[in-house]
Amino acid sequence: MSKTFTVEGDVTAADTRTALTTQGSVTAPSSVVPAGATKIDKIIIAATSEGLADGAQSVMIRLGGNAVMGGEQVIVVSALGRIAPQSGSDSAPQLMVARVIDDADIEVRPSDTISVSAEGCGTDTGTIHVGVTLVYA
Amino acid sequence: MAKLYRTREGTVSAADTRTQLSTLGSETAPGPLLVPSGAQKLVGVIAAQNFNMAAATGYTALVRLEGPGLPEGPECIVIGAGGVPVATGGNGVNEAVWIPLDIPVTVANEILVFGEMTGTDVGSSEFAVTLVFA
Repeated sequence: MSKTFTVEGDVTAADTRTALTTQGSVTAPSSVVPAGATKIDKIIIAATSEGLADGAQSVMIRLGGNAVMGGEQVIVVSALGRIAPQSGSDSAPQLMVARVIDDADIEVRPSDTISVSAEGCGTDTGTIHVGVTLVYA
Repeated sequence: MAKLYRTREGTVSAADTRTQLSTLGSETAPGPLLVPSGAQKLVGVIAAQNFNMAAATGYTALVRLEGPGLPEGPECIVIGAGGVPVATGGNGVNEAVWIPLDIPVTVANEILVFGEMTGTDVGSSEFAVTLVFA
């Protein structure tokens, strides 16, 4: 049986750990691992910027907190880049369909809290919008 | 049992606002999405979304599932992210993503499907979500 937990947020500075704590219209979702859950079975993630600055970045997420029994887990999500187009042209959009990491198999302790943060590494490309869903089992 | 597929779609036009997906293209009032007879679980979601690039900003797209058809409570799933640096041009296609799940359901009860764009308002975003029951 699975149960989902989703957080999202905006990463506005390069090489800066940014906590993801909101869920759109839900401003403070509970980060407590549900009773009965023993592992993160899947991770569903998407991250891209709007490309308002020229640069190139990779994006990673960090899973931490006292619920993660093996210590902090760091996972790469995506990589993106942007250079200004020639005069008279428009920049292309940046789009990412969510990626599903099946069988993530990260051990967790129920009723403890988990923290999810994201980070853009490299050169700032604007604001990175990140969403993470953890699927507990 | 064989898998059963049920779909809803709709347009989300405000940031951080849960918006029910209640239509089905040519079917403007398909009625409530009820868990089909014989189904024991929601075994997956097939979802796609994209935006009209009407504002130079970015967003993350969420799907919310709520209602009495989900005895374990609501679920929320990320299905994508996007952004554009100018509002005067752009186009793109996102293929649907398959997300395997294992969520118990209650037969003959409704599941409400919502789309939401988080962060900043990018104009409008079209969502389509298929629930796969078994």
